[in-house]
Amino acid sequence: MNLGQIISGAGHLALIGWAVFGGAFNSDPMPFEVTEVTAISSEDFAALMDGPRAPDAVANVETPEPPAEGEGAPDLSSNADAAPDSAQPEAAASSEPDTAPEAPDMVPPADTEVSDAPPVLDPPQEDAAALVPEISPRPQPRPAPRVAPEPVAQPDPDVKIDDVDQQEAAPDETSEPVQEDTEATAREEATTEIVTEAEENDVANAAPPRSVRPRTRPERPAVQEDTQPAARPQTDESSVNDALAEALGQSGDEGQGAPQGPPLTAGEKDALRVGVQTCWNVGSLSSEALRTTVVVAVSMSEDAKPVASSIRMLSASGGNEAAAKQAYEAARRAIIRCGAGGFDLPVEKYDHWRDIEMTFNPERMRIK
Amino acid sequence: MMRVLLSLVLACLVWAMPAFAQNGPLRIEITEGVIEPLPFAAPDFVSDNAAGAEMGRKIAEVVAADLAGTGLFREIQPDAFISRVTSFSSPVQYADWKAINAQALITGAVTVDSGGKLVVRFRLFDVFAGQELGDGLQLVGTQDGWRRIAHKVADQVYSRITGEAPYFDSRVVFVAESGPKDQRSKRLAIMDYDGANVSYLTDSASIVLAPRFSPDGKRVLYTSYESGFPRIYVMNVGSVQQRVLESQDGQMSFAPRFGPDGQAVVYSVSRGGNTDLYRMDIDSGASTRLTNAPSIETAPSFSPDGDQIVFESDRSGTPQLYIMPASGGEAQRISFGQGRYGTPVWSPRGDLIAFTKQSKGRFHIGVMRTDGSEERLLTASFLDEGPTWSPNGRVIMFTRETQGAQGSASLYSVDITGRNLRQVPTKTGASDPSWSPLQE
Repeated sequence: MNLGQIISGAGHLALIGWAVFGGAFNSDPMPFEVTEVTAISSEDFAALMDGPRAPDAVANVETPEPPAEGEGAPDLSSNADAAPDSAQPEAAASSEPDTAPEAPDMVPPADTEVSDAPPVLDPPQEDAAALVPEISPRPQPRPAPRVAPEPVAQPDPDVKIDDVDQQEAAPDETSEPVQEDTEATAREEATTEIVTEAEENDVANAAPPRSVRPRTRPERPAVQEDTQPAARPQTDESSVNDALAEALGQSGDEGQGAPQGPPLTAGEKDALRVGVQTCWNVGSLSSEALRTTVVVAVSMSEDAKPVASSIRMLSASGGNEAAAKQAYEAARRAIIRCGAGGFDLPVEKYDHWRDIEMTFNPERMRIK
Repeated sequence: MMRVLLSLVLACLVWAMPAFAQNGPLRIEITEGVIEPLPFAAPDFVSDNAAGAEMGRKIAEVVAADLAGTGLFREIQPDAFISRVTSFSSPVQYADWKAINAQALITGAVTVDSGGKLVVRFRLFDVFAGQELGDGLQLVGTQDGWRRIAHKVADQVYSRITGEAPYFDSRVVFVAESGPKDQRSKRLAIMDYDGANVSYLTDSASIVLAPRFSPDGKRVLYTSYESGFPRIYVMNVGSVQQRVLESQDGQMSFAPRFGPDGQAVVYSVSRGGNTDLYRMDIDSGASTRLTNAPSIETAPSFSPDGDQIVFESDRSGTPQLYIMPASGGEAQRISFGQGRYGTPVWSPRGDLIAFTKQSKGRFHIGVMRTDGSEERLLTASFLDEGPTWSPNGRVIMFTRETQGAQGSASLYSVDITGRNLRQVPTKTGASDPSWSPLQE
């Protein structure tokens, strides 16, 4: 028997012995009650013990004498008991009837139509850069009394309508007045297209079927050649002039009326175009006149104002004579009205804009 | 040799000269403008006596209301005037009118001649051009007819500025309605285009429907339940005399409309549950059947040249618009949008067809080309129906009915661009308008 077996046997015996005898040696504590005790004095104890006792029985009890005869019966009068003073509670003020609860505004959900048909996409053009999202956010058009190239938000009702936006200016009481009072102005409300009642709340039209494709890269602008005459050999000047005159078949005196100096830039021409179109009102033109393009000639004074008597119609196309007359009159009004204060033209280039031919083409203004 | 070469080189340079210098006037093209009402001033027409002055004030008011009512013009209020017109022949102070941005100025004078006739003269000026537009004009009429004279003045101004044909001196026949929806009485009435001068053509003893003017404006076709079922009547507006058109027992006739010659009438006949189109000569009473299909064909309307008829049919399953020759024959469908189309009316210009459309629970008045292209919806409401064209084809009047048991019908007008939607004032409920031609 090796040491391990001995240890194992001893351990097992110890475990068995603890299991058998260990429980007998341990016992649970006895249960006990706790009572509260109050100490009192002997007098208090005696008083408690003396308590109320039954009265002693009486042996001799005197019998009361009967009432003497002849005595009248006692008056049996009684007064009615006074009614108890029970004050009636004051009636409470009638309360307001409960108001019927207001039904919440139930907004019926808008009818929606769901189509099973898949959206039809046009095949992209060859030069399309990329497909664009089908729907993109776009401001909802709304009707306005004026249709113009630029949309103008509805101005404050207290603001005066003018051609330009202008902030109100008032004198500062704490400083020297340096500026005259000016009334706040704003441009008249305008939208860029006619919006009918049918389109006004048409949610389906709130977004375009597709976004505008990215424009193709603009063509490289033509190289502006230097308008300054190149230095010419002194010795050949006369011969060159002679050669030029000969090539043109003109004498040297002709062509003196041609404007000198650089022509108007594209921006200057655009400024003139915008200056006229803001007054070109086609709203009162007939359908026939809206199909008529007129070319109008006008001479300008040096202060960039049109000479009214010089305005004339050079040609008209697309409509009958009466329509051309209406279209011309609308164009004339535009030139005179917007030119009354002078167009934004560079004075140094007066020779180039002394005479102007304006083509009024209303094709894009028919139905917008 | 050198000189020749130099000449050639310089000639080439000159040929390409535009980049260097500008020959001739500066040229620009204007393609964008604005659409806004044209401001005008219409001071009271002058007169040499108090009665005439009052008449002059009222005439100027009607002229201004006519023009402003188109949506193409905006009246400048008299309290903004700087210059006062005291004499018809005095020169115009253009600067004063320019200062208030009046682009057109209307001046006039009113006198009553020895015969009691009203004499009205007027002139129209382009303020910014500083010249008169057209010649002055003089109109003579009865004093009771002062409103017609005012309308004629406004017509002249409207035509001279816009180039459109006039339409103010016209009338509208319609159904005047009163009472609740379930017990509504209806009778024929006639009024000026602006709702003034209402007079009644029938009493409310029987229901009347869909009156239609003749091309000369002297007769009216309408449908009446006077005999218990719908029959077509023709009435002389001047004498208020009426007679029933040819009708057979057991059939219902309705939706009549004159042809452009005033002789032909197209209408619907419902017999045995089937409705077809017929054409009748109004004098002889001879009728011709134009359609013969199991579907419902109704609401016919002639083209202005009288060669074609547009009508409504449900032969495809839903009500759509079709065009066929005026003598009958194969019809061609022109409406293909979603929804139901009805009550087509050909424009007096011949280029557009107005119609009623029901789509997505709403009613619309719209216009389309005669081939069905370029459909545009002009209105949208609970119930819009029954369009009729102004004599110049620029404006459409129609019936709008509001929702609910207390809903009522009224007349509205809208420009064919979809702008200037406005209610036509009537004292009672009104429906089924038909616009007369311009009065003679």
